[in-house]
Amino acid sequence: MKNLIQKTLKVREIPVFLGLLIVVLITGTANPAFFTLSGFQDITLGVAVVATLAVAQTLVIVMKHIDLSVGSTIGFSAYLIGDASSKGHGFWYCMALALGLGLVVGAVNGYLVAYLKLPSLVVTLATLYIVRGLFNEIAGGNTITEDMVPKAINFMGLNTFFGIPYLFLVAVILMLVVGFIMKRLRPARDLYAIGSNLAAAELVGIPVARRVFLAFLATGAVSGLAGAVLLARFNTAAANSGNGLELSVVAACVVGGVAIAGGIGTVYGAVIGAVLLQAITMALGALGVPQFWQLTVNGILLIAAISLDRYLSTRVKPTSIMGTN
Amino acid sequence: MQKKFASVAAAVAIVGALVASSVAPANAAVPGIKTGLKIAIMPKAVNIGYFTAWNKGAQTACKEIGAKCTYVGPTEATGPAQVQFINKIIQQKYDVLVISAADQNAIVPSLRKAKAAGITVVTSDADVAAASASARVVSVLPAASARIGTAEVDWIAEAVGKKGSIAVLSAAATAANQNAWIAAMGPYLTSKYPDMKWVGGTVDKSVFYGDDDATKSTAQFAAILSQYPDVAGIISPTTVGVLAAAIEKKAKNAKVKVTGLGLPSQMAPYIEDGTVEKVGLWNPIDLGYVAVYAAARAKSKSFTGKVGSSFKAGKKTYKVTAGGIAYLGDPFTFTKANIATFKKIY
Amino acid sequence: MKKFTFGWDHGVTIFLVLTVVLGGFISEYFATIDNLSFVIQDIAEIAIIALAMSYLIIAGEIDLSVASILSLSSATIGFLFRNGTSFEMAIVGGLIVGLLCGLLNGYLVTVIGLPSLAVTIGTLALFRGLCYALLGNEPVNELPENWIVLGYENIPGTFLPWSTIPLVILAAIAWIVLHYTRIGRWTFAIGINAEAAKFSGIPVARMKLGLFAMTGLMSGVAGVVYTLRFASASPDGAVGYELGVIAAVLFGGVSIAGGIGTLWGVLAAVFALGAIRSVLQLIDFSANALLIVSGALLLISVVVPRAIEIAQSRRKSTFVTNK
Repeated sequence: MKNLIQKTLKVREIPVFLGLLIVVLITGTANPAFFTLSGFQDITLGVAVVATLAVAQTLVIVMKHIDLSVGSTIGFSAYLIGDASSKGHGFWYCMALALGLGLVVGAVNGYLVAYLKLPSLVVTLATLYIVRGLFNEIAGGNTITEDMVPKAINFMGLNTFFGIPYLFLVAVILMLVVGFIMKRLRPARDLYAIGSNLAAAELVGIPVARRVFLAFLATGAVSGLAGAVLLARFNTAAANSGNGLELSVVAACVVGGVAIAGGIGTVYGAVIGAVLLQAITMALGALGVPQFWQLTVNGILLIAAISLDRYLSTRVKPTSIMGTN
Repeated sequence: MQKKFASVAAAVAIVGALVASSVAPANAAVPGIKTGLKIAIMPKAVNIGYFTAWNKGAQTACKEIGAKCTYVGPTEATGPAQVQFINKIIQQKYDVLVISAADQNAIVPSLRKAKAAGITVVTSDADVAAASASARVVSVLPAASARIGTAEVDWIAEAVGKKGSIAVLSAAATAANQNAWIAAMGPYLTSKYPDMKWVGGTVDKSVFYGDDDATKSTAQFAAILSQYPDVAGIISPTTVGVLAAAIEKKAKNAKVKVTGLGLPSQMAPYIEDGTVEKVGLWNPIDLGYVAVYAAARAKSKSFTGKVGSSFKAGKKTYKVTAGGIAYLGDPFTFTKANIATFKKIY
Repeated sequence: MKKFTFGWDHGVTIFLVLTVVLGGFISEYFATIDNLSFVIQDIAEIAIIALAMSYLIIAGEIDLSVASILSLSSATIGFLFRNGTSFEMAIVGGLIVGLLCGLLNGYLVTVIGLPSLAVTIGTLALFRGLCYALLGNEPVNELPENWIVLGYENIPGTFLPWSTIPLVILAAIAWIVLHYTRIGRWTFAIGINAEAAKFSGIPVARMKLGLFAMTGLMSGVAGVVYTLRFASASPDGAVGYELGVIAAVLFGGVSIAGGIGTLWGVLAAVFALGAIRSVLQLIDFSANALLIVSGALLLISVVVPRAIEIAQSRRKSTFVTNK
């Protein structure tokens, strides 16, 4: 186990992790409230949604693809869960609904990208619009309120396990499971091969289309189920839930060393990246950076994090949108 | 003041309930209003609960005056998005536009075009910038900015026992309504409550922007607590913000007091369980109702919109005050005592 | 004589014509002079940015920060004007800021070597943040009347809004340069294979830097048009426009993989999207349905060419074609 952790962290996750430590140390020194249990809970609870989605997004980014539809899917799913629950359906029915939605979106994305070989950026941008449009049509001006949230989900959002928010534990467990699978199971390892050299992957007999399809399906499924995390976190959902989350998720992955160019990066990195971004956001307030400057500083740090990763990695220079061909 | 609010609330609640439940015959004529008007009701964005209620009142008024009302608007609450729909209204030769301005400046050129095309424009809920007041006939707003701002300060003062430091969790930084209310809060708190202060020293430095987004509002609530651990109270003058604050306060079991402008239907669980003692809001149903009457009367030339003129909507008469604005009246407040009634209305 | 081949850009053109003709039939309000003016006004900013974005995507890069650059240019104009600069100089300032933003993107991509998709998510936040840093919570609204009439009135005696002038001039230049000059050929060459382009002597990095700078400048121009059209400068202007621009460029037949595309296709796509949105609004489609249609059109733009390709290759492999 120790060996495994060392191996996985050695290459790309260390710089992000150091960045995280630096941010936490500086902020904690300047504002001791940052070091308290509640400071810890703020960050871990705040990051749960993005971290969960970042784990799923890693699956597609390592294949040199992208899934922009996750924000629409998670929002729609959160709404459906609350809506179904308020109509008297049980927890498992609601979760099945969430999973079903995620699978449908994932299957559509996956089919178009894997079998029709369409660019994932375009396909998932389109499904982002379509899912959001359907969501808005169904939700209208309704708001899901706390009394409509299934009890189990409500409990997860409000409580901690020995001080660690349940929602963060969900993200961490998902990370460990997916991380293990991507390390140990052949089909998941194939994703790296597909991302680093598609032609070679086909040559050595990897069933590329099937792998790509399954990865998008998995990402969709997680995004659907993550609707429960979103609902647990905010105890409310409305037509704009999850709007714009996709960019935060991609940013978390990139900062965590999951290269847009494909072929490298781990779910551990993606989650640390998400935590780093969350910590930075919290730190800016705690350090007293004026409101109107926070987004600017956030942008600069994001660029700095990407640059640092680029500097420390030995990859060749990317030459296209998604990096090296 | 507390009592006054309560009695006004009780009185208007009955009106509100009547408005909400009355089903007028389709072609009932109202003296002074032409029948068959084609009216567009445009919210900042569709798919927002507050505006659904607003539209409910507007539709009731439309039935009473025998007008054909269409609820139309963008999915995103921005000026440019609204402009596309204003253009549509102009093309389709509507008679009247009742609009809640998503951007107090960006829609002004389009409103002037609508006016030039013969459309009677009335803003309701959110007005255009004061300098551009000539772009609309009249604005029907809930209550004077100063009244809304100071009332919220009173609510938080009551909740925190008139001492301690206060922060504001607002909507977008550019939200004109919220900015006007917040501007009124600053000096009032300093002069009326000597033992209370703003967490950032001045009110400007104590405002956090949640962009009317549940995710951001929740994050900003957490930011206020971590930045100012001894904050005594948070005012959130926006329905999305105050809901997020209530949920997060309950989740964290935080001691900070929360108040602001919230929809009773959404805030009910938190008022019933004591997370929040009191929030307030005008009745958006009444607001939409009155705005349609003002617009229809202006179109029918039975109301000029000039300062000092007045118009009748339902049983009440509203007077146009400085700036070409008619006010609905003080916001109602919701507490454990009355939330059960109000949560069913809006 | 070049042989005519039916491309996606012709498809989009037919789609545009069909939309206009059918739109005229199903809504009496659509095919009117006033509505044409509205549609042009409505698409002007997206069209201007799309001209430059086409180059960038053809060259195999992307810029997600364009809406933030537009807004920063607008915020700069407002900020300078509020602080006493003449409006003319404020506009120059806005354009310079647009150019600088583009140069920064280009620098980060070509010199530091960062992937453009990732880095422009960062600059999207950075430039938007600077809008707030400049204007705070106070939009600028009292701009000189003689300028803002340009934003919402038509050219006297015509039904064309003033924004038609920069749009037509810039589109003509962009078209000629892309399809009839060396710079255009280089852009395609870089997108098809950057390595090969470099070996054949094309200054790939310098070209890309130039294209990013140009995209920034065009976003700045769009910022000027935007400021005039809405008679104000606000820190939250044009949020989400980047997706509109990219959707238009891709719908216009530019390949996200680079190397393929025509400017005609992009322009036809921008107009087609504007026209179809107008038709759907005029026949009272809900705003939610408009979102679904945008997504569906985007999907069609990649699915249809692909389906044709698959059909053709199947025919070739199973039958002997008589061509």
